Amino acid sequence: MLEATGVTIRFGGVVAVDALDVIVRAGEIVALIGPNGAGKTSFINCITGAYLPDDGQVYWKGENVVGLTPNALTRRGIGRTFQNVASLHDLTVLDIVKLGYGLRHSMPLRAVVLNALRGRDSVADELNETLLHPLGLADFRHAPIQSLSYGHRKAVDLARALAAQPQLLLLDEPVAGLSSSESRSLAALIRKVRDRLGCAVLLIEHKMDIVNSTCDRVIVMAAGAKIFEGLPADVQVDPEVRRVYLGEP
Amino acid sequence: MYTLQLATAGLAIGSVYALIAIGVVLIYKCSGVVNFAQGAFVMLGAYFTYAITRLGLTPVIAVVFSTVLMAIAGAATERLVLRPMLKAPVVAIMMVTLGVLIFLRAVALAVWGPDQIAFPKLFPDGAIEIFGIFITYNYLTAGSLSICLALAFLAFYRFTAIGLMQRCTADNSRAALAIGIHTSNQISLAWSMSAALAGLGGTLLATLNGLSLGLSDIGLIAFPVIVLGGLTSLPGAVVAGLLLGVLQAFTDGLVTPMLEGFLRAYTTIYSVGALQQVLPYALLILVLLVRPQGIFGWRGSERL
Amino acid sequence: MSGTRLWISLLVAAAACILTLMLGRFGNYLMHAVVIASISALALNLLTGFCGQISFAQAALLGVGAYTAGNLGNAGWGILSIPLAGMASAAAGALIGLPALRLRGLYFAMATLAAQFIFDYAFKILDPLTHGVSGLVIKPLTLLGYVVQSDRAYAVIAIICLFVTWLTMVFIGETTLGRAFLVVRANEIVAKGMGIDVARTKLWAFAISGFFAGVAGALLAFTTRLASPEAFGLSLSIDYVAMIIVGGLGSLPGSLLGAAFVTLLPELIQRVGEALNIADILSAAREMAFGLLIIVFLIFEPRGLSALLHRLTSRDHANIAPKTPRPTSERRRSELGLKFEKVE
Repeated sequence: MLEATGVTIRFGGVVAVDALDVIVRAGEIVALIGPNGAGKTSFINCITGAYLPDDGQVYWKGENVVGLTPNALTRRGIGRTFQNVASLHDLTVLDIVKLGYGLRHSMPLRAVVLNALRGRDSVADELNETLLHPLGLADFRHAPIQSLSYGHRKAVDLARALAAQPQLLLLDEPVAGLSSSESRSLAALIRKVRDRLGCAVLLIEHKMDIVNSTCDRVIVMAAGAKIFEGLPADVQVDPEVRRVYLGEP
Repeated sequence: MYTLQLATAGLAIGSVYALIAIGVVLIYKCSGVVNFAQGAFVMLGAYFTYAITRLGLTPVIAVVFSTVLMAIAGAATERLVLRPMLKAPVVAIMMVTLGVLIFLRAVALAVWGPDQIAFPKLFPDGAIEIFGIFITYNYLTAGSLSICLALAFLAFYRFTAIGLMQRCTADNSRAALAIGIHTSNQISLAWSMSAALAGLGGTLLATLNGLSLGLSDIGLIAFPVIVLGGLTSLPGAVVAGLLLGVLQAFTDGLVTPMLEGFLRAYTTIYSVGALQQVLPYALLILVLLVRPQGIFGWRGSERL
Repeated sequence: MSGTRLWISLLVAAAACILTLMLGRFGNYLMHAVVIASISALALNLLTGFCGQISFAQAALLGVGAYTAGNLGNAGWGILSIPLAGMASAAAGALIGLPALRLRGLYFAMATLAAQFIFDYAFKILDPLTHGVSGLVIKPLTLLGYVVQSDRAYAVIAIICLFVTWLTMVFIGETTLGRAFLVVRANEIVAKGMGIDVARTKLWAFAISGFFAGVAGALLAFTTRLASPEAFGLSLSIDYVAMIIVGGLGSLPGSLLGAAFVTLLPELIQRVGEALNIADILSAAREMAFGLLIIVFLIFEPRGLSALLHRLTSRDHANIAPKTPRPTSERRRSELGLKFEKVE
């Protein structure tokens, strides 16, 4: 589904991503790991249209998507979450999630007007049932984002991305800052989302237990280049990976 | 010869613009506040000078006193109005300085009335002929005084210990605080220097154009000047001020008559009105779109 | 928007209409001054309060609306000239907004300031359309063949326009576009990353805001029967920014409060001044009070009248039931923690 070949991103003289090839198939969960500064987030930013690659191609469902804006990619079914969740003034949880929904789905004018007259909102009810409840956010749906804890904000960010029903979900350190039990339930949720939506997931993560329990395949990056690709179980015994991470000769 | 005549008149006005714009940049650099009340300081400085000469003091002493008063007024504005608003959104801070402008204008209106007042003569009458062009002493002294003041201030900012502390505060107020600079005093100081410069500019401008409430409108012209100069660059403000002054003089003296002649010949519009007054703003938009960092600014100073 | 809120706003609009029928000439003058200011303040609040774009060019948009409506009205377009004036101002608004696609915050505010001056200048020199400095004299509005003369009728038309504006604003708040406005205001980079088309969102904000500013301008033109450049100068723009700040940025009821406050305050001072016999410094006193109020307001209540009102009413709440501590969201959060209970 997603096929990135030879993607290169430079910032001035620094090569953040160096001729990286990544393929993500439908329904697959792929982890992108590597030390800090390996270029993982830059690569994700490139796929979602925030950065333009200096070289290389990104194909999504056979279409070259290099140069498309983030909103065009969102409409094509690529969704993402952020490593750091920005505080967004007084928007409520439900607002953000509805926004995520509305960016991919058009709500017919008539339905909105009818909802207003009836004083009911079928979309909100549905999102509440399918997303906010499973993520433990249902109680806070009318709370402003800035009043939530860090973990909850990350959950809201994920809910927003999921509300658009993406076919490719890019998760930038989804469990960073969460407790280990929270991380485990989030990992389970990610698998469940994949099973239900059938979407592909590319996630950046540092915690190996999460990667091992969630992912079908692992790509290890160091200094912008791919140094390993394979099954999660094989990562830790790979000599190159051990060298980069543990400094073994 | 006519061109040269226009250019000198433009330079004289432009140097006053520079003086006023320096104040706006100074405050912006130091405290991040865009001061719409600068025009009120300009006006108030001129009125203070006028009021003090009315008490019977000589013009020189009056100017000194008025400058001191303006410095106090600037610091007071910062302490009383801006200090309590440290964490307010940008639009609220802009608005509060507009409130100060409206308030001070109203005070001047109540005290000195709405009419134009004959400003006391600071400089002798008459004109001097240089290279075949005539310059009145008024223009000559006002222009050269304000350009000297502007340059002196730049030197002060660049070479003295206080200037260094000012630059530290402007550059990174947290780091300045960490190395022991009393940043909040520096901010008050920036405000008082800025108001003093504006007040001097106002006095000089009043010797050229007379004294009225309209002087406060000149504060707004500081914005095209500082955008042209790069918003955070003091030398940029000086050069842009001079440039804009000359450009306005040329527009008024050369472009407007030509344009009106053309329009009268081909359309029903017979006047282009005060084109020189709107020109700086057209230039402002153009600069913002083409080169947002201004002529002397550097990229990434504010735009993100 | 819940059904109840819809009915409440309808009731308020109807009550205002009935009130105009009971008011005298001066009362009606105040009424439509406040109503027109409210329409324009709502429009500006959409742009500044919701979408975060500071604009000092609101008066220019009103002016475009007024001149368009005046010319069309004089040419016999009747009531149609009001929405058409809105369209013209929407286009002008989008034009003023174009620099916003490249600029942000302060820089953009300066661009709107410049735009205000340029429009002001255009009103003065585009003689064939604006009649220059002397201003364009406008015939009364014709509605279904009748010439509308009475002040009351104009007030009712203005109230209907305000009602429509209000509903539109509330409705926009419920749409994806409305939410996108808020995210753009909070952080443009995040908005872009979420997949919001920031440029398009901003242009919509300018166009919608411009439309209603134009409608307000048209109403102003028909009630004053004159559109002149000095009526649409920078000071009017500043008045509108003052209204939305005094009322509360991003608050719809706040816009109405702010509009009423800023419109009625000078009238009040006028009355008091006349009573105190200080007619000679009246205009100075009016300006002084206005400036001082803006300053005091921003220092002590930067979130505006709506926040003040909110605080007052919630304090009343606490007084009625002091014994039961309200469960704060703070507290519930720590008890619940983050749970993904329904997953397994």
